[in-house]
Amino acid sequence: MARIQLEHITKRYEDVTAVDDVSMEIEDGEFVTFVGPSGCGKSTTMETVAGLTKPTEGKVYIGDREVTNLAPKDRGVAMVFQNIALFPHMDVFENISFGLRLRKYDDEEVRRRVEQAADIVQLEGMLDRMPDEMSGGQRQRVAIARAIVRNPDVFLMDEPLANLDAKLRVHMRTELQRLHRELGTTIIYVTHDQAEAMTMSNRIAVLNEGKLQQLAPPLECYNEPANLFVAGFIGSPSMNFVEGELTATGFESENVDVAFEPELVPSVERGDTLTLGVRPEDVHLVETADDVTEQTDELYATADVLEPMGDEVFVYLLLSEDADRSMEQEPATAPNQLLMSVTPDTDIHEGKEVAVVLDRSKIHLFETATGNALRHRLTERSDSDSGPTATEADS
Amino acid sequence: MSLRDHFDAVTADTDRADGLAVDRDKAIAIAVFLIPGLTLFTIFSVAPIVYSAIGSFYSWDTFTMEHFVGFDNWIRSLTDPLIVNWSNMREFQYPMGALTHNLLWVVLHVPASTFLGLALALLFADLKGRRILRSMVFAGFTVPPIVIGLVLMFVYDPQAGIFNEFLRVIGQGHLVRNWTQSPQVAIYALIAGGIWVHTGFSMLLYSSALSAIDPSLIESAKVDGANAWRRFWDIIWPLVKPVTAVVVIMGIIWVMRMFDIVYAAGGAAGGPNHAYSVLGIEVYRAAFRPQIDYGMAMVVALLQLFIVAPLALYIARMR
Repeated sequence: MARIQLEHITKRYEDVTAVDDVSMEIEDGEFVTFVGPSGCGKSTTMETVAGLTKPTEGKVYIGDREVTNLAPKDRGVAMVFQNIALFPHMDVFENISFGLRLRKYDDEEVRRRVEQAADIVQLEGMLDRMPDEMSGGQRQRVAIARAIVRNPDVFLMDEPLANLDAKLRVHMRTELQRLHRELGTTIIYVTHDQAEAMTMSNRIAVLNEGKLQQLAPPLECYNEPANLFVAGFIGSPSMNFVEGELTATGFESENVDVAFEPELVPSVERGDTLTLGVRPEDVHLVETADDVTEQTDELYATADVLEPMGDEVFVYLLLSEDADRSMEQEPATAPNQLLMSVTPDTDIHEGKEVAVVLDRSKIHLFETATGNALRHRLTERSDSDSGPTATEADS
Repeated sequence: MSLRDHFDAVTADTDRADGLAVDRDKAIAIAVFLIPGLTLFTIFSVAPIVYSAIGSFYSWDTFTMEHFVGFDNWIRSLTDPLIVNWSNMREFQYPMGALTHNLLWVVLHVPASTFLGLALALLFADLKGRRILRSMVFAGFTVPPIVIGLVLMFVYDPQAGIFNEFLRVIGQGHLVRNWTQSPQVAIYALIAGGIWVHTGFSMLLYSSALSAIDPSLIESAKVDGANAWRRFWDIIWPLVKPVTAVVVIMGIIWVMRMFDIVYAAGGAAGGPNHAYSVLGIEVYRAAFRPQIDYGMAMVVALLQLFIVAPLALYIARMR
C-alpha cells in the first residue's frame, strides 16, 4: 500500500509534449482513473509511475520514496495491460508465477501464492491451461492474478477492459471494484471510456493534450466540471453548449437568453463572451417541468430528430426566438441546436413545435476565452450554494 | 468430355443434391485443373528423381544405361575418398571428402549465421537507422552466390585482397596467404564468406519475428522484474522458436545444396586437390566431366536429397 505523488511531470518526445506539467497526489488505497481522449497523455503519465517511461522533468514518489529513476521492478508496482500481454508460451500457472520465480521464491511459497491469487480472480482449476485455450475474460483474470500475486503497493491498469466485449466489460468492471475493496491496494486505472471512469473510481483525473484538467470525485466532475473540456467529455451524450455574451441582464445569445445578476460572475465583464452549458436531462418541456423549481424563460424550438434509446429519448431541437419564426430559420447548425433527453412516454414527434425551459440550478457558465468554469448554478441564492469552482472564481 | 461439360455436370448434380455424384464430379473437375501443374511437376521433378533412383542401380557407358549392377554404384561412391575420406579425417587433413565438408558447413555455418542473425536483429530492433543497417546486411543475400564466390576470391587475394591487407595493418603479416587456395584453411575462409551472406537472411526473418512480439509482453516482463537476460531467455527466445526452426533448416538446406561459392573459388575440382569440394561439386564432376560416371552422380545427388528432403518436409508441415 502506498500513496503516489506526481510532481510537475513533463514528458517530451522530440517535437511532441505528451505530458505537460502534471501534478497530483493519490491517497493510499485510492482508486483513481485517468481518463481522456486518445493521445491525451494518460497512458504516458501512468508509464512514468510504472517506470516504463522516464519523465523529461518532474518527480514521482511512491510511498515515501522518490522512484523517478528506479527500474520498474524496484517500484513495487504491478501492471495490467490493454492487450492483456500474457506470455503465450507459458501456461496459467507459469504466467502468474513468472514474477515470483524471478524473485527466487521457493516452490511451495510460489504455489501457495499463485493458488491464492487464482482464487481471488476465480480461476481455480485452470492453472494448467494455455492462454490460447481461454476466453478473453479468463485471460484478463490471469493478467490480474499475475499482478496481484506479487502483492504490489500499487496496481496500474492500462485500459484493461478495452479488448473485451461490452457485456464482459460491464461484468469485469464490478469484479475490479470488488477486487479493490478486498485488497485495498492503490489503483491507477487508465481508460478513454468515461462510463468506466464514472462507475469505478474514487476520483477521476481528466486529462487533455497532456494537461490535467480536473482531479475530483466522479460526480463532482459531472456536476461541477472545472472547464469546457471536462464538461464536454464527462457525460454521455455531451452537455449542450451555447455561446453568447454577458449583458446587464444576464446571458444573451441569438436563440437563448438567460437572465441573472451579472454579479454572480464577477470575474468577467459585460460584453465578454461566455459559454452556457446545460446537460440534455436538464432541458425540460414546459408541460413536464413542474418539478423544476427555478426555470428559465421559455425557449421555442422544433423537434428535429428523435433518438429512442429505450429508457429515454434524445430529442434534437432546433431553436428559434419564437415558434412563428421557426420556418424561416437556417437549416440545422450547431449554434441553434439543443439536445434534450425525455422519458419515452413523452408526447413528442419529429417536426413538433415545442416550448422548453432550462433548469437554472443545473446551468453552467464558462468563460469562452479560457474555457474555465465561472459558475455551476444560476439560482439567486447565496454563494454558499454554488460549487467550489464557482466560489474559487468568485474570490 | 470438355471442361464446359464438367462445369455443367457439377452444377446439375448440385441441383439434384446427390451427394456422392457431386463429390465424384468435383474430384474430376479438381483433377482437370491439376493436370497442367502436375504434368510439369512430373516431368521436371518426379521423373528425374525416379530415373536417378533406378539409374543408380545400373552400370553406365557414358550416357547409356547398360545393365543392373545392384548396389555397386552405391558402394563405390560411398567408399570413394572424394565423398568420405576416412584416413584424412583421422589425421584432420583436407580433403576429408565432400560429404564431410558439407557436414562441416552445417556444423559451423548454420549455428554461426543463425546466432549472428538473431544478434543483429536484436541489436537493430530499437536502433535509429535500423532500416538502412538491415538493408546493408541483407544486401549480401540478394547477390547471386556465384558472385559471392568471386567476391571472396578478391577479398582473400594475397596481393589485392582486403582481408590480407587487414592482417598486414594489424601487424599479423606472417598470416598473409592465398586463403582460398591453402588446403588446410580454405574451407573456413569460404564458410566465413557463407556466414556473411546468410546472416542477412536469418537477420531478416528474426527481425520480422521480433517486431511481431507484442511490446507489452516485454514491458510486462520488465514490471515483473525480469532483467535483459531473463527477458531474452524467458520471453523472446521461446517466442522466436518457430523462426529459429525455419532459419536452421533453411540454413542446412542452403549449405547441403552448396555449389556456386565453392565452384567460383575452386573450380570443378573443389579447390586444390579437392580440398573443399562439396557434394554438389562431386555430382557436377561425375556427370559432366570426363571420366563421366553417371552412376556415381546419381548416387551422390540422391544422397543430397535424402538429407534435405526430410528437413524440407518438416518445414512444409510446420504450423
